[in-house]
Amino acid sequence: MIDLQRHLSMSAPLPDVRVRIIGLGGAGSNALDRLMLDGVTGAELIAMNTDVQALTSSVAANKVQLGAVCTRGLGAGGDPEMGYAAAEESMEEIRAAVEGAQLVILCVGMGGGTGSGAARLVGLVARQQGALVVSFATMPFAFEGRRRMAQAEEALAALQSVSDVVVCFDNDRMSDAVSPRAGIHEAFSTADRLISESVRAVLAFTAQKGIVKMGFDDLSTALRGAGRGASRCLFGFGEGEGDNRAHEALARALKSPLMDKGRMLEDAQSVLINVSGGPGMTLNEVQILMEEFGRYVSDTTQILFGTSVDPQLGGRMCVTIISAVPAGDRPLEEAARPAPRQEPAPVAAAEPRPAGEVLPDREEAPAVATPARKMALPEPDLLPAGNGAPQPAAAKAPLPRKSPREAKQAQMQFEPATRGRFEKSEPTIVDGQDLDVPTFLRRNVKKQ
Amino acid sequence: MSKENIVVGLEVGTSKVCAVVGETRRDGTIRILGVGQAPSRGVRKGEIVDFETASKCVREALGDAEEKSDVMIGSVYLAITGGHIECFNNRGAVNLPEDRDEICEEDFEDVQSSSREVSIPAPNMFIHSLLQHYYVDGQDGVLNPVGMLGRKLEADFHIIHGVATRIKNSVRCVKEVGPEVLDIVFAPLATAQVVLDQNQKTLGALVVDMGGGTTDFVVYVDGAVKQSGSLPIGGDHITNDISLGLRIPMAKAEKIKVEEGSVIMGKALPGETVKLKDENGFAGKEIEREMLNTIIHCRVRETFELLKKKLDADSFLHFLGAGMMLTGGCSQLRGIQQLAEEVFGMPVHVTHAQTVSGLTSAFENPQFSTAIGLIKYAEATQPIRPRGIFRRLADRLSFFGLW
Repeated sequence: MIDLQRHLSMSAPLPDVRVRIIGLGGAGSNALDRLMLDGVTGAELIAMNTDVQALTSSVAANKVQLGAVCTRGLGAGGDPEMGYAAAEESMEEIRAAVEGAQLVILCVGMGGGTGSGAARLVGLVARQQGALVVSFATMPFAFEGRRRMAQAEEALAALQSVSDVVVCFDNDRMSDAVSPRAGIHEAFSTADRLISESVRAVLAFTAQKGIVKMGFDDLSTALRGAGRGASRCLFGFGEGEGDNRAHEALARALKSPLMDKGRMLEDAQSVLINVSGGPGMTLNEVQILMEEFGRYVSDTTQILFGTSVDPQLGGRMCVTIISAVPAGDRPLEEAARPAPRQEPAPVAAAEPRPAGEVLPDREEAPAVATPARKMALPEPDLLPAGNGAPQPAAAKAPLPRKSPREAKQAQMQFEPATRGRFEKSEPTIVDGQDLDVPTFLRRNVKKQ
Repeated sequence: MSKENIVVGLEVGTSKVCAVVGETRRDGTIRILGVGQAPSRGVRKGEIVDFETASKCVREALGDAEEKSDVMIGSVYLAITGGHIECFNNRGAVNLPEDRDEICEEDFEDVQSSSREVSIPAPNMFIHSLLQHYYVDGQDGVLNPVGMLGRKLEADFHIIHGVATRIKNSVRCVKEVGPEVLDIVFAPLATAQVVLDQNQKTLGALVVDMGGGTTDFVVYVDGAVKQSGSLPIGGDHITNDISLGLRIPMAKAEKIKVEEGSVIMGKALPGETVKLKDENGFAGKEIEREMLNTIIHCRVRETFELLKKKLDADSFLHFLGAGMMLTGGCSQLRGIQQLAEEVFGMPVHVTHAQTVSGLTSAFENPQFSTAIGLIKYAEATQPIRPRGIFRRLADRLSFFGLW
C-alpha cells in the first residue's frame, strides 16, 4: 500500500500527458490485474482480449472485446492468425481506446494467440495516433515447446517494429527468482509483479519531478539494441532502509531476477539508473551507491543517471536500473576468439588425443573468449615454436594411450569433478570464471 | 627472561599451521627461539572450512612450538587472510573550531572517526585502519601535526575490512585450543614488516606472499600502505592442477611440484620425463616434464596477471622504487622470479624474513615470513603489558593514531 502512496504523488502526470496501459491477451490481463493491485494512477487501464470470460473477470475499468464475431468470444485458441484476425475485426474499438493518448504501455504475453497476433496491430494503431509505444512482453517458458517459442519470437519481432521501446522478460529467467519449492502460482505471480514494478518505474519516468530528470529519450537510449535481434532486458528495482540503505538498495536491485546479479551489466552499452529517496538522502549516499554501481559496468558503458527526492519515501532509498544487452555472449569478444585460437588448434590436430581436449572447450565456451585473447600474449616466447618438436615425442611417450573414444569417456566423467580439492569449498568466481578449475583446462592449453 | 618479551606469532595457513616463538629486545631486534609447525587440514584458500580439524592442527603446532622453544605459550598474535578481505583508501577531514588554531589529540580522534564514515558491506567488519598521511590546510606529507597551527586537519587512511564471521571463526579456533589471541593482523601486513626495511617502504615496494591457499599482497608507497588484498589462489591450486592434469594423487602432485616443478615452459628437452616410483597403491608413472611445467606455468601466470590487474586498477605500480618482493612457499618454485619480472615489468626479489636473528633455518624459510612478521608487528605496536584482545586493539590503534 505504501507503494500506492508513492506512485500516487509520483505519477500524477503533467496535465497534457495522457497514458494508457493496455493488457492484451491472457498474460497481459494478468499483468494488468497485478498493476491494479499494486496501485497506479495517472493512467487509464484497458483490458483487451478475445476470451469473454477472461475479460469479464478482469478488474480493469475499461474493456475491449476483440473479434467478437470470428472468435465468438471463445479466445484465439493459441493461434496468432486468429488473434490477428480478431484485432482486425475490432480496429475501430481499438482506435477508440487509444485515442488521445500520448503514451501507450502495452503488456502482452508472447507465444499464444491473442497477445502474439494482436499486439502488432494495437501497437500500430497507437503509433498512428502519434503516441509513444512502450511494450512489455513476456516470452514463454522453454518447456512450452519450440513451436510456441517460435511463434513468440516472430510476434516479438513484429512488435519491435511498431514499438519505440520493448522491454522483454523471459519466463525462464523469472523461475530463477523463485525457490524451486514455491508453488507454480507464486512463480507466475512473480512474473506479474516484475512487470508491474517495471511499468510503474516507466510511469515514474514520465511524471517525475526529479533533480536530475529522466525522460523517454533516456529510456530509449538505455534500451537501444533491445529492438534489434535477440537481446535481454535487464531490470532491477531495490529499496533500502536504515544505516546502510544505499548499499542495501543497490544490492536488492542487483538481486532482481532479471539482473543476473549485475554480471551482464558489463556488456551493456548504456544503463539507466535512477536513485530516489526521502528528503534525508545525502549526496554522500548517492555517491557511495553510484561508486559501487560503477564496479559493475565497464568503462565504456554510458551511465544515464537520474535522481529525485520524494517526501513520501521517508527514510527509504530506491534504485531502479534498466538496461539491455545483446543476447548471445559478448559479440565483441567473439570476433577476437577465432584468431588467437589458431595457435593451439593446428597443434591439437596432430595429437592422438584431440577428442578429450574439445570437451572443456564446449563447456566453458563463452568464458573462454577472454582467456583466449590473453593467450595471444604468451604466444611468441613461451608457447614455444618448438611445439612441433615434442609432437613426435608425444607419440612415443609411455603415457597410456587410450583410443579417442575411451579418452572422451574419461574426460566426460571428469567434467563435474574438475575442481578436485576444492569440491567442497566456495568457488572463486572472477570475471565469470571459476578459478578453482585448473587454468590449463580453462584456457585449453593443449598438452603435448 | 620475563614473559612480556616473548611474542608468539601464529599463522593458520592452508598448507601448514606454524607458530613462531620470538623474543623482542629493547633495541627493537627480534630473536627467534623456536618454530612449531603442523600440516594443516581443514583450511582451504586461507579460510577455515573444518573447524575441528583445524583446531587439532593448531594444537599440534602450538605443542611443537612449546617443545622446541621451551616456552609456555599463553597468548598469540594471529594472522588472517582470505579472498573476502578488501581494502580501500579514504580520507577523513575535520575543521578545527573557530576559537582554536592549534591541532591537538582530540582532533586526531575526530579525523579518524570521520574517515570511518564509509559504507562497507553489511557482513563486514573493519580490520585495520592504517594512517597514511596527514594534511594540514592542504599541506601534504605532514608526519606529526600535533602542536601545528591550522584550520583543517585531514588524514588519509588505508582501510582493510573483511567478513566478520570468518574472522571470528579463526579467532575462536585458536581460543578453543587455549591461548589468548592478543591481536589479529592481516597477513601481508605482517609479512611486510620483516621483508621490507624502512628505506624500501619509502622508495615504494610491493610485497607478494604466495602461500598455500592465498596470494596476499601489500603495496607501500612513500612509507605508507596504499593497497593491500588477498587473492584466493595459491600453491594448493597448482597442486590441484597438477593432480587433475596428470591424473596423479594430490600427495604425489605436491611432491613432484616441490621437487621437480618449474615455472618455465619450453626449456625442458623433448621427451624428458620425471619418474614417479611405484609405491603402495600407486603404480609408477612417468610424467613429461614439459607438461608438468606447462601446467604450473599457466596457473602461476594467471595468478600474477590477476594480481597485476588488481594493482593496475589503482595504478600504484608506477611508484615502486624498490620493486617487488616475493615470498611465501610458492616463491621457491624454480623460475618464478623470471616469470614475475616478465608479468610485472619491475625487478623482483625472492626473499624471506630479513631483520631477525636467532634460528637461521627458521627465518630463511620464506614459508615462515608471515608468522615472523607477526612478531615484528607486535613489537612495533606493543604496550608495556599485554592485555586482552579488545584492549589491545584499542591500544594499538591509538598508538598509531588509528580508530
